[in-house]
Amino acid sequence: MKPKVAFFDFASCEGCQLAILNCEDILLDILNLVNLVEFREALSEKAPRYDIAFVEGSIHRDEDIERLQNLRSRTTVLVALGACACNGNVQARSNFVAPAVNYEVIYGEEARNRVQVDADHWSLWSHTRVRPLDAVVKVDAYLRGCPVVPAEFLHLVKSVLHGTTPFFPPDAVCVECKKNGNECVLERGETCMGPITWGGCNSICVNNGYVCDGCRGTLPHANIDSHITLMREHNIKDEDIRNRYRLFLGAEPIGRGV
Amino acid sequence: MSYYLTTLQNITNWIRKTASENPVYFPEKFGHASYRFAEVKADSDIQFEHYTPTVLPPVKLLIPAREELLSFKKHADGKTEINPTLDESFRVIAGVRPCDLKAIFLIDLFLKDGVPDAHYLARRENTALVGWACTAPCDSRVFCAAVDSLHHTEGADIFITPLKHGDLLVEVKTELGEKLAAGTDWQTCDDGPARKVGTVADMPEPFGRTFPVTAQDIYKNVAEKWKSPVWDKHVERCFSCGSCNLVCPTCYCFDVSDDMNLDVASGNRTRTWDGCMLPHFAVVGGGHNFRPDPAARQRHRVKRKFEYLTEKFGHGAVCVGCGRCGRQCTAKIDIYDIVADLINEGDQ
Amino acid sequence: MKTVPSQYDQIARETFLPQIGKIVEIADMTAKDRYFRIELEKPLGHGPGQFVMVSVLGLGEAPISISNGPSEDNILEMVIRRIGRLTQAIHELKVGDQLGIRGPYGSGFNLDDFYSHDVLFVAGGLGLVPLRSLITPIIKERGRFGNITLISGCRNPAEELYRDQLETWTTDAGMDVIRLVDGTENMPWEFGTGLVTDPIPKLEMDPKKTMAALCGPPVMYKFVIKALNVRGMNFDQIFVDLERRMKCGVGKCGHCQINKIYCCQDGPVFRFSDLSGIPEALQ
Repeated sequence: MKPKVAFFDFASCEGCQLAILNCEDILLDILNLVNLVEFREALSEKAPRYDIAFVEGSIHRDEDIERLQNLRSRTTVLVALGACACNGNVQARSNFVAPAVNYEVIYGEEARNRVQVDADHWSLWSHTRVRPLDAVVKVDAYLRGCPVVPAEFLHLVKSVLHGTTPFFPPDAVCVECKKNGNECVLERGETCMGPITWGGCNSICVNNGYVCDGCRGTLPHANIDSHITLMREHNIKDEDIRNRYRLFLGAEPIGRGV
Repeated sequence: MSYYLTTLQNITNWIRKTASENPVYFPEKFGHASYRFAEVKADSDIQFEHYTPTVLPPVKLLIPAREELLSFKKHADGKTEINPTLDESFRVIAGVRPCDLKAIFLIDLFLKDGVPDAHYLARRENTALVGWACTAPCDSRVFCAAVDSLHHTEGADIFITPLKHGDLLVEVKTELGEKLAAGTDWQTCDDGPARKVGTVADMPEPFGRTFPVTAQDIYKNVAEKWKSPVWDKHVERCFSCGSCNLVCPTCYCFDVSDDMNLDVASGNRTRTWDGCMLPHFAVVGGGHNFRPDPAARQRHRVKRKFEYLTEKFGHGAVCVGCGRCGRQCTAKIDIYDIVADLINEGDQ
Repeated sequence: MKTVPSQYDQIARETFLPQIGKIVEIADMTAKDRYFRIELEKPLGHGPGQFVMVSVLGLGEAPISISNGPSEDNILEMVIRRIGRLTQAIHELKVGDQLGIRGPYGSGFNLDDFYSHDVLFVAGGLGLVPLRSLITPIIKERGRFGNITLISGCRNPAEELYRDQLETWTTDAGMDVIRLVDGTENMPWEFGTGLVTDPIPKLEMDPKKTMAALCGPPVMYKFVIKALNVRGMNFDQIFVDLERRMKCGVGKCGHCQINKIYCCQDGPVFRFSDLSGIPEALQ
């Protein structure tokens, strides 16, 4: 029996699901091997139980928690799909700013003042803390990155088909960066999150002339103190270091020592 | 072995001509301030003098980051066909400095020892090396003279030394080198060895960074130290990112993994670079990690370079002093400093 | 210009290409350990204590101890614990399925070291599997050895391996078999509880004419060796079978290096006195 596969999303741009749909060359082969039962980006069929649920997005509200727990109870394998689900992603920056302040930045002071006294809008202010999936339920596998990497998605699907645990080496982005023969970002006088960030992305940002911003989350053995020292040596102000860490990792404890 | 005299212009032209017939790799400037071995194209800049060690050493052209070892196919009748994958294409690597030549010479020893590494050797035997002598340290981090790799030429098919008055002395050292040199108008030189001694361009003294002991005595200083505060001192900032291993010209450890195609019948087995500084390197199936601490991993790395392989193969330090690991360490850890500290620490 | 070193095709076949083995029997030994009997294309020609690289093509390869004694036929026996990616996949296989086998590799045990001696085996958990490849040839020539004792320990009664063999080794092969568990965990168990070191002080043995072979988890060795040493056994009378990560089996990939030695070639079986300058051995 082909495994039943479903995709769900919470707070996210759904870009990770699109990244998977973009693997046109292998997608049809994969669809021969699995039974895709729920995929909002592509079809709409419902099933009571799934073998693999890919869940995109971060968790913000109480109703998100209930929906995720319900999903968890209906799937054998739950995969966190992408940076929002794995580590909160950019929206976790709002954990450090009061919702009313955010609202003002986007819609202006007048609009903020107006909705603040309107009971219909009070649910807005309950949006308190952005969390990755594993802050709420058990996650069986992580497909990291913003967006996810098709090769890792494929590895995961094959592993599940073979009944084995997928393995993503806990190596820094530097490993792939060196394999690609890149000039180190530091050599260009810039700073990089690569040394403390989960690899697996084939160092795609550095390959293309940018730096690593750490979208894939910090490694279990990440030497954060050393990274702070490195940033300070490059004359990065502590406030900017904090901002750098919070870009993708606002929901992680990283940077609390800065 | 035959010797010739020629000019820089002639050598440059010869490299261009060779590149029009076969793939030739030569150091190319890229990025902000880096070099890499890249295939010579019609418009490539061929210049020997301005150079800092390439990001990756030339030996990595012979041990690719990802290399297929075998491919397999399961047939409908239940039979499985497995075939090795060998790269037997010909290439020339030119502009190889003595430190990198020594590294290739050492890797040859390591991978020929015992069960030969067919995948490496097939590529290696189809590779011609053109060496270039260093007359000045290529940057402030090198310590090639201190580990006896500055004058290494063995393994090169052709080795070029700049002489005092601007000419170049070309040593053609192998049959393959003769073939490559065929048809050139280089001037035959009968007193090659004498010229090499007497007229080599001036070299500074000391050449690069030095240790307070001779190259032979480094072994003793490292081998005696198992428990030493030096092992802890240099890992405080270590990210365990493995960069030092991956850019090292004498690191060759690898991981092996399989991939099954989506037809669920065919696939391949590949090896990829691995490194003993990576946290997962010594983890066994049950999860036990035999080297969980960065300090233990670094001690292993340093001892492998200066003690274990030195003892096993008897060719001195296996670190060639190119300085790549220290240059590319984002945590500013330099194997030179570790060894210098071990030496300065004296007997424990 | 191109020269084709055709010898490398042959060398590559001999080095990294597995032969295909067919699974002819599978039996559950415990909830996570499964016995596999493999029929090979040609005899393995292995000695006791050696290992093979086992692969499921497309999924990966890992070192696995050989559990049968040396033999002329095409049979390979292994007990494989479901522990990681590859062994999960192996446990999914059925009789008639194929496995890739390379080897045998490693130095193994040498029977000459044991002839005319009393023999003491100490096995912790899965360590009984490789030791069985030495126990089998020793009891085949039972008369050439003195007393044979096996101390076998595991976590709980459900994890004990080779239960039938432990019986027959006692009844038919004249071995003293001491069976221990760390705890019974409320399961029926008629043998002892405790660590494999516990019986050593009271063992009836002549330390001067005994050879010991140890295999178990890393933590076991230090304590067993110490206990044997206290009884008067020297380090050159003790053999240990070490476990390390291995990716090639031929001393190249670097994973199994223990200080200056390579577990895959110099070991995995070592005379303990040979490990005196190898501080990483028992870590």
